[in-house]
Amino acid sequence: MAAPKTISIKLKVWRQSNPEAKGEFKTYQATDVSPHMSFLEMLDVVNGDIIKAGDDPIAFDHDCREGICGSCGAVVNGEAHGPKSQVTLCQLHMRSFNDGDEITLEPWRASAFPVVKDLVVDRSAFDRIIAAGGYISVKTGSAPDAHCLPVSKVDADAAFDAAQCIGCGACVAACPNASASLFVGAKVSQFSLLPQGQPERKSRVKKMVWQMDSEGFGNCSNAFACEAACPKGITVDFISRMNREL
Amino acid sequence: MLTSIPSIRKKQIIAVTGVMLFGFLLAHLSGNFLIFKGPEALNAYAQFLHDLGPVLWGMRIGLIAAFVLHMFFTALVVVENVKARKARYAVTKDQGEHRTLLVRLMPYTGVTIFAYLIFHLLDFTFVEKTGFINGVDYGLYGLVVNTLSNPIHGGLYIIAMLAIGVHLAHAMQSVVQTFGFANKCIRPKLVQASMVIGFGIALAYCAIPIYLISCAGSGCLVK
Repeated sequence: MAAPKTISIKLKVWRQSNPEAKGEFKTYQATDVSPHMSFLEMLDVVNGDIIKAGDDPIAFDHDCREGICGSCGAVVNGEAHGPKSQVTLCQLHMRSFNDGDEITLEPWRASAFPVVKDLVVDRSAFDRIIAAGGYISVKTGSAPDAHCLPVSKVDADAAFDAAQCIGCGACVAACPNASASLFVGAKVSQFSLLPQGQPERKSRVKKMVWQMDSEGFGNCSNAFACEAACPKGITVDFISRMNREL
Repeated sequence: MLTSIPSIRKKQIIAVTGVMLFGFLLAHLSGNFLIFKGPEALNAYAQFLHDLGPVLWGMRIGLIAAFVLHMFFTALVVVENVKARKARYAVTKDQGEHRTLLVRLMPYTGVTIFAYLIFHLLDFTFVEKTGFINGVDYGLYGLVVNTLSNPIHGGLYIIAMLAIGVHLAHAMQSVVQTFGFANKCIRPKLVQASMVIGFGIALAYCAIPIYLISCAGSGCLVK
């Protein structure tokens, strides 16, 4: 049997007008949803209807809609970024759902990520962790000579794997303890694996972990839900590496 | 002062003390297995431990310290974890295979083990080491046989040992990860080994009350 041309979805969306507001779920009906739409496009259509009705549209973060910026994200039926593995919310398509499905949409839930409005959360805690040590100090000016810093293929690949983290916060959202260990582990590792990261290696991990703790993230319980939720496939090996580096 | 300890260090303290408690579990199990050898063997082992005197007290203090630190830092971490997500999800779905379930059970199995430990000490440590079987006092051996062949005491022992099995099934591979020695190459084997050793130890402990309950009154306890 051919798939229906359009599907209807019942949406239960977390609505919270401001950080102090209590917030509640509101139900919307999304009709004539093309299975080829992305999840965010579906929300755009629903928002169009909400605006026509004179109500406040659902607020959600988005930017590139290509799965590379890390702006979007919501918990879809209990799963960060939805049911597909290694996919951001903007790259999740409505063909992943069936006609008549009910979808519960919630913001990332973490004390360190306070809700700004509806599905938008304040992820500046990640920025402060990066500011604490997620950088390298190098001489600026003329470009360095090519190949003056040899890097093994194994290290380059591992550093690149870590550097794929887009800082979306899905790891925190999925973690039973709202821990940011996968994010920090990836950011610590991407530098510690490369020669440019060596001078500040020891102090970096201490500063970043201290900042992570200060922001009120939980502790890692090695549940590895973060790895399952990460849209970029960052592995818990980087948490292991961070633990070893500290 | 406690807030200045990095989260990773707290987990590592829990891991180190957990390894110490695991060592105790192994030593205790090897001693317990002497029950299968008969009253002389078990009572002689108990006497040997008793004769260690200050060394035994040193070991006891170390064990108590490990236990207290393990529980204290776990409680600290659990409180921090609860604070880290004050607003709960309306819909939750475990991401991360079976491990999330084992992780969620850790505090409950931990509390179960602690509660049983108190019961266990009342059963065997803070009582006179006498136990009559068929009118003969077999000392500690008789006490163990009489207590654990009781379905309630033996049943609680089995429940507590299964809680230890579930606890160890996650804890052992978790220790390796917490110290930063786990990676994707060894992790699948590590998870399997953790399950096998964890439940293996639990079942080995369970064998004792199962044996004693099944033999109670049949005359196989003392040949």
